[in-house]
Amino acid sequence: MKPAFFQALRNPLWWLLLAALAMLPLGLPSYYLHIATLTLVYVALGSAWNIVGGVGGQISLAHSLFVGTGAMLASAMLLNSGINMWVGLVVAALVSGLMGFLIAVIDFRFKLGHLSFALITLAFAEMGEIIVIGWDYLGGASGLFLPRDKGDFSAFQFGGGEGAFYVMLFLAALSVLVSFAILNLPLGYYLRTIRDNENAARAIGVNIFRNKALAMVISAVLASIIGTAYARYLTFADPYLLSSPVLTIEIVLMATVGGLGRSMGPALGALLLVPLGEILRGKLGGVLPGLHYFVYGGVVVAVILATPRGLLPLIQERFARLRGNAKPEGSVASSGA
Amino acid sequence: MLEVTSLFAGYGGRPVLEEVTVRIEKGRLVGLLGANNAGKSTFIHTLSGVVPAMSGRIVFEGEDITTLSPQARVERGIIQVPEGRLVFPDMTIRENLLLGGQHKLARPKRSQRIDEVLELLPRLKERLEQKAGTLSGGEQQMLAIGRGLVAGPKLLMLDEPSLGLAPKFVQYIFEIIEKLHREGLTVLLVEQNLNLTLRHASYCYVLERGRVEVEGASSIVRDDPRTKKAYLGL
Repeated sequence: MKPAFFQALRNPLWWLLLAALAMLPLGLPSYYLHIATLTLVYVALGSAWNIVGGVGGQISLAHSLFVGTGAMLASAMLLNSGINMWVGLVVAALVSGLMGFLIAVIDFRFKLGHLSFALITLAFAEMGEIIVIGWDYLGGASGLFLPRDKGDFSAFQFGGGEGAFYVMLFLAALSVLVSFAILNLPLGYYLRTIRDNENAARAIGVNIFRNKALAMVISAVLASIIGTAYARYLTFADPYLLSSPVLTIEIVLMATVGGLGRSMGPALGALLLVPLGEILRGKLGGVLPGLHYFVYGGVVVAVILATPRGLLPLIQERFARLRGNAKPEGSVASSGA
Repeated sequence: MLEVTSLFAGYGGRPVLEEVTVRIEKGRLVGLLGANNAGKSTFIHTLSGVVPAMSGRIVFEGEDITTLSPQARVERGIIQVPEGRLVFPDMTIRENLLLGGQHKLARPKRSQRIDEVLELLPRLKERLEQKAGTLSGGEQQMLAIGRGLVAGPKLLMLDEPSLGLAPKFVQYIFEIIEKLHREGLTVLLVEQNLNLTLRHASYCYVLERGRVEVEGASSIVRDDPRTKKAYLGL
């Protein structure tokens, strides 16, 4: 682990931010608490996706497969087989990790380019949704209703509202921390060499398959765990929400707006776009059907046109210019891989 | 040091290289010449393991490496400096150099080698914390060579180091190569630049459409009419 990593961990700013976030439920009406929780779900998912999509530069559209597995499989195991949801969470995470590994094998075996990788992962995600909807054990088209959350921790219950918020805060922090750690580990450097130039990476002896597969498995396991917790929060495992490729598109969109390949980029994107989407829906949803999507889409297009690399690099550069020296992250480690 | 015997290699089942036999002795600077599409890059990629051999044998220091992975070959000291100065533009020069020595055998000597590289290429020293993408073409080529050196090469394979560089830089890069050679490094220089390569290399191979057309001491290759023919494609 690199000095930059520990330096950042010692930075009180992050701990203050975390503490401030942890205080949030105290004063927040339940509707806004819901938005805050939802935001954290997407911070977590965006950061998990960013390991493959941002750092590794592989636009994976398969992530709804992992979220869906975490949500639907763990819920189904509880409802149809009476298996504790903690166990379900672990089993689903293992299954997701395995699927991620298989995707990496296919990618490597057939030397997929960027476009074919995106399309094949999308095809897997579509297949995943069809399987969930067609298989009664996983809830079929009607989904699965989880038992009421009574706050029994041993049964993967966190008492709804506030409890769910803290679970998501934990997962969001975990996801951001994992991607930050990866960026500062050799794995992150290798992924970036592969992203920037696969041939040059080979020329210096980087093991392409091992690094890509490792990134995919880590990302898939995280997404699956978040999926299980998300289903528990919603108390309704909805296949059309949790195993739909649309979910992945949302994640990719937020990560892109925030800034790909940076540990805080997807978090920033989610922090801005989830509340924006929810508030627009609240304010405009009743005015004219679809108007909120229209405005939301307009904002996203404007941001992407204005800063194609995302908001975070832009903010960091402005900030660096003000301070006159600070370097943008992604190149912080002075001792390298 | 390196013996390539009757090598066939190519892409998608179609051979680009046909029956290529090349011998590189320790400490030599060997040139591989040829026009575009002669198979020069394919040859380098087959040596580094990126393109698999279809048949034939590659023996390095007495060991058959024909089927070894690219990583395993890097660990044995077969280092490629890829064509087109493939540095990692988003990383600093220091990070690029560090990544050159990322494999496990190079790690213990990495910082010492970086110091040596910076002594050899002082221009990089001034810019250590600068992003590689901000360097000029010639500086990027230096960095690519430096990155290769940090890996601890026994055989350094340079793929068209002069490509697209200003004459002043071409001169400088060749001086560096010459210097490395004089210090005892075995070099395979793959080039289109006929005259410069013939001047620096002691032994040359000329590829034409995937076959070795001419080989011999540079002075002989220079005067062989088939060399011109291979270049002009007559």
